[in-house]
Amino acid sequence: MKKSKSMIVVFLAPAVLSFLCIFAWPVLRTIYMSFFNVENITSDIDFNSFVGFGNYANLFSQPVFWKSMENIAKIWFFGGVITLAVSLLFAVILTSGVRGKSFFRAVIYLPNVISAVALATMWMQFVFNKRYGLFNAIVAAFGGKELNWLDSEMKFWSMLIAFIFGAVGYYMLIFLSGIERIPADLYEAATIDGENKVGQFFHITLPLLKGVFKTNITFWTINTVIFFLWSKMFSPVNSEMSTVTPVVYMFNIVFGGKGVTERSAGRGAAVGVVLALIVLLVFFLFNKLIKEEDVEF
Amino acid sequence: MAKPKQLSQPFNAKKEAKLVPGYLIVTLWILFTAVMLIWILAASFSTSKEIYQGSVFSFASGFHFENYVNAWQTQNVGLFFTNSLIYAITALLGIQLISCPAAYVLSRFKFMGNKVIKSAFIVGMSVPNIMIILPLFSLASQNQWTGSRLTLIILYICLNVPYTTTFLLNFFGTLPRTFEEAAAIDGCSPMKTFWVIMLPLVQPGIITVSIFNFLAVWNEYFMALIFAGSDELKNVGIGLFNMVSAMKSVGDLGGLFAAVIIVFMPTFLLYIFLSEKIIAGVTAGGVKG
Repeated sequence: MKKSKSMIVVFLAPAVLSFLCIFAWPVLRTIYMSFFNVENITSDIDFNSFVGFGNYANLFSQPVFWKSMENIAKIWFFGGVITLAVSLLFAVILTSGVRGKSFFRAVIYLPNVISAVALATMWMQFVFNKRYGLFNAIVAAFGGKELNWLDSEMKFWSMLIAFIFGAVGYYMLIFLSGIERIPADLYEAATIDGENKVGQFFHITLPLLKGVFKTNITFWTINTVIFFLWSKMFSPVNSEMSTVTPVVYMFNIVFGGKGVTERSAGRGAAVGVVLALIVLLVFFLFNKLIKEEDVEF
Repeated sequence: MAKPKQLSQPFNAKKEAKLVPGYLIVTLWILFTAVMLIWILAASFSTSKEIYQGSVFSFASGFHFENYVNAWQTQNVGLFFTNSLIYAITALLGIQLISCPAAYVLSRFKFMGNKVIKSAFIVGMSVPNIMIILPLFSLASQNQWTGSRLTLIILYICLNVPYTTTFLLNFFGTLPRTFEEAAAIDGCSPMKTFWVIMLPLVQPGIITVSIFNFLAVWNEYFMALIFAGSDELKNVGIGLFNMVSAMKSVGDLGGLFAAVIIVFMPTFLLYIFLSEKIIAGVTAGGVKG
């Protein structure tokens, strides 16, 4: 293949170029920007406005930022544990030989293909509604007192429930494909050895799903760190403290928002860098924590 | 992937009894989803008063199709749909045009930097969008590129290239070498081999990843919020957000749920026809096991 050299260049150039323009350059530029005092996002970075870690110091002194970090940590941890547990449960059920597997699978995954704005509106305006909402109807059916799901105390958890409902299907599919790759004779051998289904789950399924868990935790981290739309949907007018996330905070100080007086693009860039570092740290920790044994099967 | 074999199995009472808890759990979840969707569909044909009283299934005053007319008219829904359609279709074509050749070269040829580029794409897939939007917005606004469809389309294309290329690597990688060897013996140039022989062979992969590209761009919110300055450029997500606020402020609940259904329907219908392909695609690409 004589001409392959020029072909490699021609075929790769657009992809590499697009990558450099939209990922590599902006990431470097954001890091650079976070060390300068840039008030307005549209203005140039003035070389004299270098402030070192000033934006970071300023950022760490903001109560809103810490509140947003606390919220995102809760979303990541509680949301992650529940989402992965529920989706693993569904994956185990669907591989246990139930009929109508593809139908169940399709319905559980459905929320992932519809607009998140539509999904969030369904939850806000119907499920959580105080008067005619589905949750209060269920509560009433069990003789409970109706709850105000969207008051400032409950709002965060209501938002998280709605978000989890939409997310479960995706993680379930990844668990499903992981379980389906486990050879059936492992289970047959265990059955012959007298191990029951629960024992088989803990001794065969779970250990062999280590790699899949790592994949899912990685995806969950990437998806929650940019948590924005759901927060905006659940507090559409002002960004309320109960649902504020780092991206919402960044959006407000860079692009302005109701009740936001100060603008600082430099500090917004610092938010991005802090989040990216946290993502890196999580990747690193889980790579160390979950050691994938090379199992041949 | 294992073929579902439950269907051919005879009914076994003892075995089915063991599965009852499992059936119960997934059925409850499905039931919840169904009630939610059916209620909202019913509400979209009811008056605000009926919704408030919680009696959406009686249709006491008939079907109120005017909710849909109202929802459609408060905001320029036709425009939002057209915009989202333009963004999604042009972006997915652009993505394939860039990603297919890149994936082909990366999966079939050994050269310096091959591995680096592949890993770079994987890193690109996990870069949080907030790490890139500030410089991009700054660049776009300094050059008066904001408020243009082309800017959004280019963004959508470039943002999806790493995922799409990585997805297609597996598909190109599994094709046998003999195709290219035979083509070379027949005097077919490598470029022509790609277009005429290899590309058609990975068509299933291209179709699947195109569906994902389409859905991703159609439902996109964050980039459109920042880069689609004027109303004429807004997409479905932003449009629905505005529709919901407008309907809420005038207390038109019927119109609000009609707006939700209008936005829900296109991707829902698409999913009804393509769910098997979409579901198979979620795990076929990027995910390594």
